[in-house]
Amino acid sequence: MLDPSYIKIQDFSFWYGAKKALHGINMDIPESQITALIGPSGCGKSTLLRNMNRMNDLIDGVRHEGDITLDGTSLYDPTVEVISLRKRVGMVFQKYNPFAKTIYENVVFSLRVAGRNSKKELDETVERSLKGAALWDEVKDRLHESAFSLSGGQMQRLCIARAIANRPQILLMDEPCAALDPIATLKIEELMLKLKEEFTIVIVTHNMQQAMRCSDKTAFFYLGKLIEFNDTKSIFETPKEAQTEEYISGRFS
Amino acid sequence: MPDTPAESQRKPIPERFQVAKATLRFDTFMGYAIQVGGVAIIVAVFGILAFILAQVLPLFGKAEVTERRAVPGETAPSPTATSSPAIGLDEWAELPFSFSGGDAVTFTDLKGERGTFTLPVEIPGEAKISTFAYNPAGNRLEIGTSDGRVGSATISYTAEFTDGIRTIVPTIEVGKFHKVGSERTPVEAIGYGASDSKQLYAALVGGKLHVVTLKEKRGLFGKGKVTKDLELDLSDKLTSPPDRLLVAKDGRGIMAISRKAGSIDYLYLNGGEFTLRQTVHPFADREDTKSIARADFLFGDVSLVTSSTSGALRIFSLFRPEGQSDRIFGQTKAFPDLPSGTTFFVPSLRNKAFLTGTGNTVGLYYATTGAVRWSDDLPFETRSAAIDGKFKTIALADTTGTVHLLNLDDHHPEAGAKAFFGKIWYEGANKPEYTWASTGGSGDFEVKLSMMPLIFGSLKGTIYALLFAIPIALLAAIYTSQFLNWKIKRVIKPTMEIMASLPSVVLGFIGALWLAPVLETKVPSVLLLCLGLPSAAALIGWAWNQLPVEKRCKLKPGYEFLVFVPILIFLAYAFWNLGPVLERICFTVPDPLTGKPISDFRVWWPEVTGTPFEQRNSLVVGFVMGFAVIPIIFTIAEDALSNVPPALIAGSSALGASRWQVVRTVVLPIASAGIFSALMIGFGRAVGETMIMVMATGNTPVMEWNIFNGMRTLAANIAVELPEAPKGSTHFRALFLGALLLFLFTFVLNTLAELLRHRLRERYKLV
Repeated sequence: MLDPSYIKIQDFSFWYGAKKALHGINMDIPESQITALIGPSGCGKSTLLRNMNRMNDLIDGVRHEGDITLDGTSLYDPTVEVISLRKRVGMVFQKYNPFAKTIYENVVFSLRVAGRNSKKELDETVERSLKGAALWDEVKDRLHESAFSLSGGQMQRLCIARAIANRPQILLMDEPCAALDPIATLKIEELMLKLKEEFTIVIVTHNMQQAMRCSDKTAFFYLGKLIEFNDTKSIFETPKEAQTEEYISGRFS
Repeated sequence: MPDTPAESQRKPIPERFQVAKATLRFDTFMGYAIQVGGVAIIVAVFGILAFILAQVLPLFGKAEVTERRAVPGETAPSPTATSSPAIGLDEWAELPFSFSGGDAVTFTDLKGERGTFTLPVEIPGEAKISTFAYNPAGNRLEIGTSDGRVGSATISYTAEFTDGIRTIVPTIEVGKFHKVGSERTPVEAIGYGASDSKQLYAALVGGKLHVVTLKEKRGLFGKGKVTKDLELDLSDKLTSPPDRLLVAKDGRGIMAISRKAGSIDYLYLNGGEFTLRQTVHPFADREDTKSIARADFLFGDVSLVTSSTSGALRIFSLFRPEGQSDRIFGQTKAFPDLPSGTTFFVPSLRNKAFLTGTGNTVGLYYATTGAVRWSDDLPFETRSAAIDGKFKTIALADTTGTVHLLNLDDHHPEAGAKAFFGKIWYEGANKPEYTWASTGGSGDFEVKLSMMPLIFGSLKGTIYALLFAIPIALLAAIYTSQFLNWKIKRVIKPTMEIMASLPSVVLGFIGALWLAPVLETKVPSVLLLCLGLPSAAALIGWAWNQLPVEKRCKLKPGYEFLVFVPILIFLAYAFWNLGPVLERICFTVPDPLTGKPISDFRVWWPEVTGTPFEQRNSLVVGFVMGFAVIPIIFTIAEDALSNVPPALIAGSSALGASRWQVVRTVVLPIASAGIFSALMIGFGRAVGETMIMVMATGNTPVMEWNIFNGMRTLAANIAVELPEAPKGSTHFRALFLGALLLFLFTFVLNTLAELLRHRLRERYKLV
């Protein structure tokens, strides 16, 4: 039985310095589904995503109110080890960011930093993750070449492979297809649908069709507020809020 | 015909698409101005290089000798003389004299109307001159007479001015003669030496070596009467009968040369008694002949230039063999063989050069470097030679008595690759070594110009400074950029940048007058600090990570230093005060003066290691120069670390890497090129640093890695000595050679560093 509210966001507000980016968000993200966050630029959807594994800790001068819980534990509980949290909640970024290492080393990075160096385990992980990211066939003969020898779409899939290598419970994807061409985008979308079986996915996207095609649930954000959160079908076919309708029908962006 | 529209028909471009004339003009102007600036910089750098090269290159030239004029002299040299004739030059090289043992000295006026004239040598009594020796230092003729007396005649030149025309007037002053031995037999060889209060004549009379010492009574009103002090017959101390005598200028050493036996007996006066200190066989190892053609003192009288009858030319210098207290002669240099044994010899009175030769061959040699400055086969056979006091003129007298004057153009005889970079056995040294000692107290000082101690000093200072600075600067940069809270970082970075602008003269002043005296007595404390603080810091870090997360989380990440710093300050205070305790436990030795145990590192170090302890030492330099270098390395390295794309840091953080793992696996490789630049710029600053080195080191050009003594760097050497180096002199140019080395040093190093940096950047470049 799936827990319908795997990640619970409770009255969450967030500030960059003096600028308030999120206004009291309440949201339950279900397990083993794809939840899409949509909305115009600067509406706070990426900020919310980055708070789900506390990536915003890396930014200077931020603060928050309210809480986000994962499996009932607050992410901001002082006793939570951020490193361990990030192992549970993986992330794929908008701009692919492979390390200046080989393809192989990029994939096994999360194992290496955890001190797991058994050759057998690493080899298995590389194959499983690259297959999972639908990249295996393309790179299996050149695993020890630089990651920079790949194309943009391949690099992004490598980043996904890297993110799923340690099998996190949740995968956060911040506009994973923004820098990709339509064919690569399609591949990533197919991939997401496949990954859904194993991970809970939260994706931020600007692409309405993408949200419609892949996601189970969709949340619409506007000016730092959650306007509407419902099943994807309902949001796109029978939006309750006028703003949602205006946005999805392309009247503003 | 439908062709392209003519010029006039072309549509005018609307004004809004046109570019303002002023903009274009300004653009062109700025383009040229920037080009001029860029070219000017390149020209300036090459100009400096060209200037330094122009100063340095003459050092590596050879001597040039050109014919000036030949003056016919005495046609028939006196047949009575047993010694080879002597010629000498006045200060202006206008009035050379020659003397062959007759009763007069012949002068030749080269400039005026006087032609050739003679001045008599009036020896009291009826005797003739049986032997003489000419000593160019002091223009003295030491004379032995046929009736067994010794004395001297001094030739002096004075310049007189009449109607603004200079006339040089020579005079001959004959001194008092002293009887040697009891018989009225002729003196066969003579030697003379004098110190302040004592004069010594050595004379060979009837095959016996007689020595007479004279004492001069000094009264309130100057020189007093000269009286005979000692008279000794030293023949029984000799190993073989001598035929030539040399007396060192201190009047204590006598060299009795036996040409046929090929040996030189070295007698030394100590405590009123002469002892045979050494018998030198200069050519004992030669196959062809062991006999000596000539042996003469080099200027300064501590080196003997010897020539075998077969033409070998060697220098023997006084040195103190290890474990012995007496100085003896040992071979220090050898020159290429001449065709046969030398027949004449004259030392330069300005440096360690000498002129010698045989038959038609003449060579100008330099003793220090063992170099042949000039050598030629002349159309005449030289019998005697002279070098003027300015080292500008050579006079050679041939067998017919003609005096040939030659222009000597050799500005830097003491220079050369060997002098700057080779190991040289200097006079008085115990072994070949690298030494820098450009100026000395006396005229016969041997100039030592080895660049090696200075290069060594530059490296030593740099390495000790970087040893201190690099770990601190890099760790601080990593901590500040990756771990410290951003609010504090905002304060720290500009503060460090202000530190970088501290004038080095201030740092040097602080180092020399405050830090050096403090550190002098606190070495054990420093030792404790250097070992204790880093390990304590590591230990605290480890302990912090062992704390349960509930306790740790009370401090926000980036504020951990609030716990660490007070502990570290307390520990530093404790270590500082524990120093004396450590000193008492580990550094106690018997006081060399009293024999009682003493706990003082300053005594312990030289006792145990055998190397000196100085107050202004490399440790002080390391600290003070570290202070000059740390801010530079820190700032540049911090920039490089902060410029690592946040996406990569986020990427690795999102994969569960700890803060240190992010730094190690992602940040450091990407910043490596920048960090490397920081290190190179720090290195460049340290190598070229001058004021700190001048002030905080002892400036002794030693070649020891010992951290408790100083060094002299190339840069400090230039700063210290350039004001006292006459422009264009060898010393002056040698300092520029130091500058060139410094230039090349940084140039080569920076080029290598740039190549390496480029490779690093290629390797870790981003998409």
